[in-house]
Amino acid sequence: MKEIMAIIRMNKVNAMKKALLNAGVAGFTAVKVLGRGRLVKDPSVIEERKKTLLAINPVQEAGKEKLVTEFLDGTRLFPRRLFTIMAHDDEVPQIVAAIIEANRTENKVGDGKIFVMPVMDIIRVRTGETGDSAL
Amino acid sequence: MIMVRAIVRPEKKDELLAELSVAGFHAATVVDVVGRGKQKGIKFGDIVYDEIPKTLVMMAVPDEQKDAVVGVVLRYARSGEQGAFGDGKIFVTSVEEAYTVSSGELGL
Repeated sequence: MKEIMAIIRMNKVNAMKKALLNAGVAGFTAVKVLGRGRLVKDPSVIEERKKTLLAINPVQEAGKEKLVTEFLDGTRLFPRRLFTIMAHDDEVPQIVAAIIEANRTENKVGDGKIFVMPVMDIIRVRTGETGDSAL
Repeated sequence: MIMVRAIVRPEKKDELLAELSVAGFHAATVVDVVGRGKQKGIKFGDIVYDEIPKTLVMMAVPDEQKDAVVGVVLRYARSGEQGAFGDGKIFVTSVEEAYTVSSGELGL
């Protein structure tokens, strides 16, 4: 049994839920989280993101550029959704592939991370059964 | 690869994240949580507070950097020199695989 933790964009939640259904796993737990990622070394990627982010809302608000800059240089935490999915060992590759497929964007950065961790035991509260059959 | 999950005081979060970044651990995920510890919450007379707000900081790091991360958290999440009840806990678990969604690459 494996625990798959996926940190994804807020606006990809519905696509993620659909992708998980198609991959054959309906159960998940999702939490709103704040976070930041590895610092991006390539300045051209950052410049491009800054341009698109500033273009999203054409209204010039005071402090908008400062906000966008802080999001990109890592001083500010940004909102993401954390999905926790429990899966049988053999299902892991297809689930990981489905998550990547559903959450990848053209932005090059900020699409999230997936962690796969071992789970020692799973117990179903209703019946008390343990292990793979409880999943 | 390992996952370090640190439960710390909410007021220590900003300083801790800044120091982690300085130490080279920039990536982190932060969740506001409630919980209680070994002291069974806080008791004032008859009133027991057993859902104490804390902040959960999660980081995935290579095995060899575990001690460095844990060291930074221990240093900056502790209150005062001695520390106090309620400063938090650090849990370390193993991560078998990590993928970056934008590139589909395996690894941190």
